[in-house]
This record gives sequence, C-alpha cells and structure tokens, in this order.
Amino acid sequence: MAGKKNKGNKNDNSNGSKKQEVDVEDRLQAVVLTDSFETRFMPLTAVKPRCLLPLANVPLIEYTLEFLAKAGVSEVYLICSSHANLVDEYIENSKWSLPWSPFKVVTIMSPEARSVGDVMRDLDNRGMITGDFILISGDVVTNVDFNKMLEFHRKMHAQDKDHIATMCLSKASQYYKTRTYEPAAFILEKGNNRCIYYQDLPLVSSKEKPSVEIDPELLEGVDEFVIRNDLIDCRIDICTPHVPPIFQENFDYQLLRTDFVKGVISSDILGKHIYAYITDEYAVRVESWQSYDTTSQDFVGRWCYPMVLESNMQDNQTYSYESGHIYKESNVVLAQSCKIGKCTAIGSNTRIGEGTIIENSIIGRNCQIGENIVIKDSYIWDNAVIGNNNIISHSIVASNAKLGSNVELEDGCIIGFNVILDDSVTIPKGTKISAKEIQSIELATFGVDSSDTIESSDTEYETQSSTATEHKFSSTTNLVGNKGVGFVYDSDFSDDEDDIVSGPYKVSNSLAHQIEDLYLSDASISSTKKRTKKKRTMSASSMYTDREDIGSESSSDEEEDFAVEGLATIERAVENNHDLDTAMLELNTLRMSMNVSYHEVRIATITALVRRVYHFIATQTLGPKDAVTKVFTQWGPLFKRQAFDEEEYVDLMNILMDTIVNENFERHDLILFVALNTLYDDDVLEEDAIYKWWDTISNDPKYDEIKNLTAKWVEWLRTADEESSSEEEDE
Amino acid sequence: MSQFSNPSLRELNNANGNNELNVIIDTFIAKLKRKQIVGSYAIALETLQLLKRFTSAARWTHVTELITQLRALGLQLERAQPTAFTCGNIIRRLLGVLRDEMEEEAQEIANENGMNDNNNGNNSSTSEPLISSMFNLLQKPEEVQTVTKLLSSRNKKTKTDFRQIAIQGIKDLIDEITNIDDGIQQIAIDLIHDHELLLTPTPESKTVLKFLIRARERAHRTFTVLVTEGFPNNTDSAHEFAKKLAQHDIETIIIPDSAVFALMSRVGKVIIGTKAVFVNGGSIASSSGVSTVCECAREFKTPVFAVAGLYKLSPLYPFNIEKSVEFGGSHEVLPRMDPDYRLDAVNKTTAYVPPENIDIYITNIGGFAPSFIYRIAWDNYKQVDVHLDNKSPLEKSVKA
Repeated sequence: MAGKKNKGNKNDNSNGSKKQEVDVEDRLQAVVLTDSFETRFMPLTAVKPRCLLPLANVPLIEYTLEFLAKAGVSEVYLICSSHANLVDEYIENSKWSLPWSPFKVVTIMSPEARSVGDVMRDLDNRGMITGDFILISGDVVTNVDFNKMLEFHRKMHAQDKDHIATMCLSKASQYYKTRTYEPAAFILEKGNNRCIYYQDLPLVSSKEKPSVEIDPELLEGVDEFVIRNDLIDCRIDICTPHVPPIFQENFDYQLLRTDFVKGVISSDILGKHIYAYITDEYAVRVESWQSYDTTSQDFVGRWCYPMVLESNMQDNQTYSYESGHIYKESNVVLAQSCKIGKCTAIGSNTRIGEGTIIENSIIGRNCQIGENIVIKDSYIWDNAVIGNNNIISHSIVASNAKLGSNVELEDGCIIGFNVILDDSVTIPKGTKISAKEIQSIELATFGVDSSDTIESSDTEYETQSSTATEHKFSSTTNLVGNKGVGFVYDSDFSDDEDDIVSGPYKVSNSLAHQIEDLYLSDASISSTKKRTKKKRTMSASSMYTDREDIGSESSSDEEEDFAVEGLATIERAVENNHDLDTAMLELNTLRMSMNVSYHEVRIATITALVRRVYHFIATQTLGPKDAVTKVFTQWGPLFKRQAFDEEEYVDLMNILMDTIVNENFERHDLILFVALNTLYDDDVLEEDAIYKWWDTISNDPKYDEIKNLTAKWVEWLRTADEESSSEEEDE
Repeated sequence: MSQFSNPSLRELNNANGNNELNVIIDTFIAKLKRKQIVGSYAIALETLQLLKRFTSAARWTHVTELITQLRALGLQLERAQPTAFTCGNIIRRLLGVLRDEMEEEAQEIANENGMNDNNNGNNSSTSEPLISSMFNLLQKPEEVQTVTKLLSSRNKKTKTDFRQIAIQGIKDLIDEITNIDDGIQQIAIDLIHDHELLLTPTPESKTVLKFLIRARERAHRTFTVLVTEGFPNNTDSAHEFAKKLAQHDIETIIIPDSAVFALMSRVGKVIIGTKAVFVNGGSIASSSGVSTVCECAREFKTPVFAVAGLYKLSPLYPFNIEKSVEFGGSHEVLPRMDPDYRLDAVNKTTAYVPPENIDIYITNIGGFAPSFIYRIAWDNYKQVDVHLDNKSPLEKSVKA
C-alpha cells in the first residue's frame, strides 16, 4: 500500500513540475472529519458511517473529496473513528488512492475520539500539521471557489498577526427557511468580517426566544458590527497551525463552534482572532435527514453547479442529463407506460415496471421497481426491490431493502438496510426501521460526549426495552408483516442522544418537515426531562442549567459520586500541597469524565477548603482568622477556573455561606468574613459580584447570625468604593 | 460501454508499464469533469498537449493498434464532458491524418506489387476527395476496402514512421489552432462596411472580438457594435467585451436581451461565435440567447455570420439537440429556495442554432454556406471515426 502510494507520488511530481517548485509551506493540507460525532442518521449509521451514505447515488465523502481536489489540496488526512475500517476500505478502493489521485490520502484511525476537540488534540500529538490546513467535515456538499477563500485568508493573515482561522459561511437567501440544524448568530466586525462573538440560537421551531448576550468588553475598539443569523455554517475552515495547540491547552473544548470559536474569540488571554469568509456560493452540510432531503433536491436541481450528477464524479458512472432535471445512467430499463417526472435520477441496471410514476426521486442502481407504483420525493438506494402497487412518499429505502406489494410508506419513513416488508403493510409517518435491533454497544460507537452518559442512557434503554420487549416485538411484527424482517428504531430516543449538540433546542429529527410541528409539543417535554441528566458544559449557560437541576429534585448517582470524588481530590491536593495547576487539572478532568457542571465543582471545592479550615482550628494549629487566610489565599485562585461570570460568583458565595453554616464553627461569622475578604483581596471576587450577592441574599433566619460581620464588611466596601470614586471625581 | 472500454485502455497501459500515461490522462479527465478547463480553444490546446505525450509514450507494434488506443482515449474524453466537442474533433483529426498515411502506404505497396486493378483506381480517389464522395455513393464502404488491404499488408513491416507522422500531425494542428484568428480576420475586411450596425450575441468569443478589431484597425472602418447583455451567464463577459471594443475606438452599445427584436430591423449583420459546428450546418453557440437572436434575424432577413475555426467542426450529426446543449446551474437564475416552495429553474448555457438560421460560416479556410459544411467535414475526418464507441469493422476483422 505504502509502496504504491509512494510510487504514485513520484509520478505525480515528475509530471507536475509546478508541484515540485511549490514550497513545503505552501503545500495545502486538509483534515477531513469522517465522523460527525452525532447519531442523527441512526438507524442507518449503525451499518454504514454517515460519510458513506449515498446522496444522489454518490457516497457523501466523495463530495468533500471532490471539493478538496478542486481546491488543489496536496495532502488529505481522513480522521476515522466510528466504522473506521469501512471508511478505510472504501478509500483504499476508490480513485483517490490511485497513483493519479490529485492528492495523497492518509486515513488516520482515531477510535477513541469522541468530539472534534479530541481529534484536534490527536492531530497535535501526531504533529502532522506543517502549515495552514483545511478543516472540513466529511459530509459537505459545496461549489465554493476555494481559491478566493484562501486569498481572503492570506490577506487577513497578512493584516492581522493574531488571525488564526477563517470560517466559510454561506449566505442564505431570504427564501431559505431551514438554514441549518444548528442555527447560530455570528457577530462580525463590519468591514473586515472579524468574528467578534458566536452564539447558538434555538431552532425556529422551538419555543424559546432567541437572544444574544455580548460582553461589552468584546466590543471595545469595534466601530461597527453586524449580527447575522442568515449564514449557513458549512464547516469549512482554514486553520493556521496554531489551532491544534489551542485545543491541547484547553482540553475541555469539545465542539468546534460552541467551544472553540466562542472560547477563542471571547478570551482576552489568547488574543486570537477568527475571521469569517462570506460567500454566495452553495455550501451545506448533510447533517440531518432534512438536510439530506434538501441537499439531494438541490443537487439534482443543479444548484451546486458545476458539481452536477452528469459530470460523473465516480469513474464507473454514466449519467446523462435530460431536460426537466432528469438524469439517467446507461442500461436503465423503463417500461413503456411508466412516467418519469422532473428532478429524478435513475442508476444503471434499474428496471421500472408498467404504470409506475416517479417524481422528485433518486433511484439507485440495480433496483427492481414493480408496476403501478407511485414514488414521490423519495430516495431508493441501490439494490432495493419494490413490489407492485406501492405508494412511497417522502421516504428513504436503503440498500437491499425488499418491499412487498401494496405497501404504503407514509411521509418521512426510513427503511433501513436489508429490511424486508411483507405485502399490504402500511408504515406510519416518520417510522424508522432497521433490520437488526440496535444494540447498546452500537450506540456507544457513536460519538457522545462522555462515556458515563452513554452508560447511563444505555442502561435506561435496556431496561426500557426489556420491559417493553414483548409489546414492542408484537407491534413490530405487525408493522413489517408476518414475513417481514425489521425492528422499529425508537426515534425519540435517538434524538435524545443529540442533546449534547443541540442542547435544549431540540427538534424531532425526521425527514419530514411536516412532522416537525406534529412532534413539537412532545419534543419539548422530553427535552426538559432530559436536561436533568445531561448537563451542558458551556460555561455561559451552566448557571442556567444548574437551577434546573436544583429545581428538579432528581440528584442522580453520578452527582453524588462527584461530590465524594471531587472532595477527595481537593483534600488530597490540599494535604499533599500540590501546586495549583495540578489541582485544577485533576478537578477539571474529573468534572469532564463525570460530566457534572461547575456548580458541583464549586460545592466540592468549598466543602474541602472549609473542612481544612475546620481541621486547623480544631487541632488548634492556627487561630480561626489565620487558618482561613492561609487556606483561602493558597487555594482561592481555584475559583477563578470554576466561576466565570457574576451569577456564578454569587452562586459561589451562597455555597460558601451554606457550607460554613453547616460546618458548625464557633465563630462562623468571622470565618465567612475572613474568607470573603481574602478572596476579595486576591482579586478572585469582584465588588460588583459581592454587592449583587448581598442584595439577593436569602433572609432565612439561620443565616442571620452569620451575616453580622459580613454586613459591616460590605458596608465598608461600599463606602470605600464611594469614597474612592468621589476622590477620583475630585481629581 | 465505458465500463468495458475505459479499463481496457488503462489495463493496456498498465500492462505496458505506462503508469505515467494513465496519470496524465486521468488528471486531464478529472480536470474536464470539474470544468477546470473551459472554452473550446483552451480545451483544444490541452487535448493536443495530451495527445503529444500520449503518442510519444504509447507502445504499439502496428499503426492499427495506435488507432485503437487513440479511439479509446477519444471515447474517454468525450464521456468526460459530452458537450465539449473539441476533444473528439481533435482526436478524429489526428486519426484522419494517420489513416490517410496508411492509405498512401498501402497504395505504395500495391503499386510495388504491380497490382494495378480497378480497386486501385477507385482508392486513389481518397486523395481527391471532390470526386470521391460522389462516386463512392454507390461503392462498397470505404473501411471494408481498407480492411482487406490492411489485412494483406498487416504482416509486412511498415516503412513509414507513424509515430513521427502522428507527432507532426499534432504539431500542424497546434499551428493551425493558434493561428486560426489570422485566417478568419483576413475575411473580416471584406465583410464589414463603413457605418454598419452590427450585433453580436456571443461576447465571450475571442474570435469575434479579434474579427471586429481587425476590421477597425486594418480597414479603418467605422461601425457600431451592439452587444447583448447575455443574462445571467454572460453578463460579465459582455461588459468585458464592450470595454475592449471601446478601447479600440469602436462604438459599442450593450443592449438587454429583450431588445433584440426591436433593434433587429436596424441591424446590418449579426455575427456569432460558435463552440461547435455539426455536419448538417447547425452549430452550438456559447450563450443561450443566440438561437433566439438568429431566429429573429431570419425574421428580418438580416444576414447571420458565424465565425468558427476549423477545429470546431464536428463530424457528428445533432440527432438529439437536448444532449448537445449544456445546462448550467440554477443558482444563476433564481435565489436558493426552501424545498417546500421551490421553483425549478433551467439554465441553458449553450444554444443550438439550426442551419437555416445561419447564412454563412467564416472559417480560417474561407467562407462556406451551412449546406456545404459536410464537405469540409469529410475532408478532415474519416467516416469510420465518427462514432468512437462502435467497434469499427476494421478492428473487428483485425481481431478475427
């Protein structure tokens, strides 16, 4: 293999004398994420990875690779995690690993990667990145003129030394309603398109009102800015080599946009800038069934020109174009009375029987399509067999599926690989059927943030399925018929797996647009229910999530575990006198592995510190004041990495007060006062946060006593503040 | 078909250890598919460069093998971009050169052997095409004769160095194509009169541009050129075209496509550039409005001049017009829309102009009526090579 590739390269170079002259630094590298770390294409992705699913009879990854070939990339690294062997095998047998491939393809196995962040850290460890590189996901369909984008990138790079990445955003027209599955607002500086802020937005269909909160500090030095939500994020980024190390330093970054982009641009420590390249050209990601549908139709409707079906991207394709957007390969057998409507593609060796009507559909190769069938807005993949008199509307029939006669597929059905449907069955709206019951292990292969989540959800799933097995089985048999083979894939459940990405902005993941409304009420209920289980790690919203947790009394096992583990970690750190960084690192790792919010971390930290103080006082090594000062001076900075905005500091102080009350000190008012004062002196606490906390402090009588000294302190702070400000005014 | 023929060439090259050749061919095909080479002029030159390498690197023992390989290559290129006829034309031209040479050699051998029978007399007609086509009508098809002759001469060693001939042929073609405009421009002076109003709907044609500039500079004619806007695909090139003409002191007016009919009564001549000219005299023009403009011109009895280099002449007959016309992207016409409310858009980027709407073709070898085009085609191409995908009787019998 390697030998072959090398030989190919040698040939390539000897032919393209241009290539040789190009500096090593100018060689363009591309990193393709073949795994989406999502499960939206379940149950089909249980058999095949997303990037190998056919869109218009061409595997999705081909579109990405075609784009890269056109862009003049010379090295492509494919990062494979789930179904890595399938991807590897596919690439090895494809034209891309032939000696005349325009670039060198290297597949990198990274089975343990669970997010984009993991992949980037892996890349950094491998040290393969030598210069600017393209970061692209393996499901992009685009006709973007990459050279223009690169030019923009280079221009910006020359202007701004801190520029580290360029995102490609495609402008959606006003007529384009469904922009993306992950809507977001981009706040850009007018003129040079520097991205000032990024925020996820709730989907149009969700009940939440979209709002954007920007830290005024970010807007300093910005004359004019624009807030845009009409941009389709197609996940084509040009990154400088500085990007992977940033992921390495901030090892809690998981997602490219929500974590990385937001993190980098709102951090004044890094001081790096990300720019947006805005284009009118076609660029989308196939990220959900809906976008699969839209993109297929767009592709067939020639919106992605010059990338069209009849350019026969793959060597063995023979499509030709006929007016009305009909594409036919050679050796298609059409009965005399069948009608082929507009926007249809038919693969070779497919037979279509008498009286069949096909419109807006894509039919794969070697399909046997019977008589008097109506196929509309549907996708029939290779080798499917469809019996007579069926009605298929807006559905997907995957490869090797067999449908009997008189079958009706209602809107939004997904018939998985090798499923067999008996005669005369009707599949209701939005049903997903797979040939094998999706096992929990398979679920685990699809990137979900933390392993704990998977386990917990899986156990839940298993119990759920075991109790419901009999009921379910019988209903499935009814659905696919007596001779049928297939299991209903619980789509509600699959959607919940997506929560990590879509967060509370959940929407039913189904092919059908119409269903969206139908499921809406139901979906929002399940999402609130689920939120207790999965906490989002976004710092800005963690406070928000926390309250939900407190409110919904369910404290699950993992939280308790964390309380114990976290406490132990900090106590260990304090006793053994670890340095601050190590302690933070351990704590952060623990937090991520258990997937708990910062709130729990703060509780654990404060409890540990207060106990330490108590220990000093109880053993009479130090007086109360000294003990508090010592402990909090040394360990107070921990909170800097545990609380990020005012609300979280308020939360921190509340926890501190609670803990001190519960710990039964002799002079707890003093302890609280000294602790706060120390934190204030060390610049951990801001005055504003303190005032806010004081203003909102609870009036519970059990706190009355403890507040005595602190009240005076706050009073003192305020006067001091006023004085200083008045002094300033005097000057 | 391609499943069988493509690998055969590739396997052949692989067997010959000609991996390098495959690299060149496939890179070229990929470029064609991705539309990285556009314009018939660029495609023609690139094809010739490819052929040059191909003929110098390919291995064969008899010239028939080279012809088979070239046909396979031609088929591959045609498949890569069926609406770019130039690749096929160029390869067919080269095949024609080779076949002529074969004929000549066969004749020589025959003469040497003293076989002076009737057959020979007829065959000599190939060198005099004017007589041949009329007389050949009632004759056995040409190729069968060639086959019989070839079979007889197959085992003999060829004296002629066909590789040399092929390469010389390619060089000649390159010369011809790069100098094509000179030939056409010569005629320009005679055709354009003073104070004439001209209309061109194909602003992206370089030949038309040079034609007009030549008329202005050499003959010092003062005339006005109307340029159609060519929305949506050609607007940019129309602007560019108008600017260039204006730089040469030619009065230029850009008009909207819809105004053509209104202005046609005042227009003296319509000049169009072409992408391909078929044997029936019809042509493919590189802008979708051209066919309507020509239709319009016929209505007003305005003469339509089509300028075309010889290499654009294709021996194909446009049986299926739809398949010879190119379709572009919908995004040029309409903004992207939601699938629920989507409108379908059809954006033809080229148009077919039927022969009755064209009055004269101006080529680098002179001006011809559309009805005469077939003759020029058969001067340059061989009937056998029209359909590259059919296994020609020659190959079949050679194999048998």
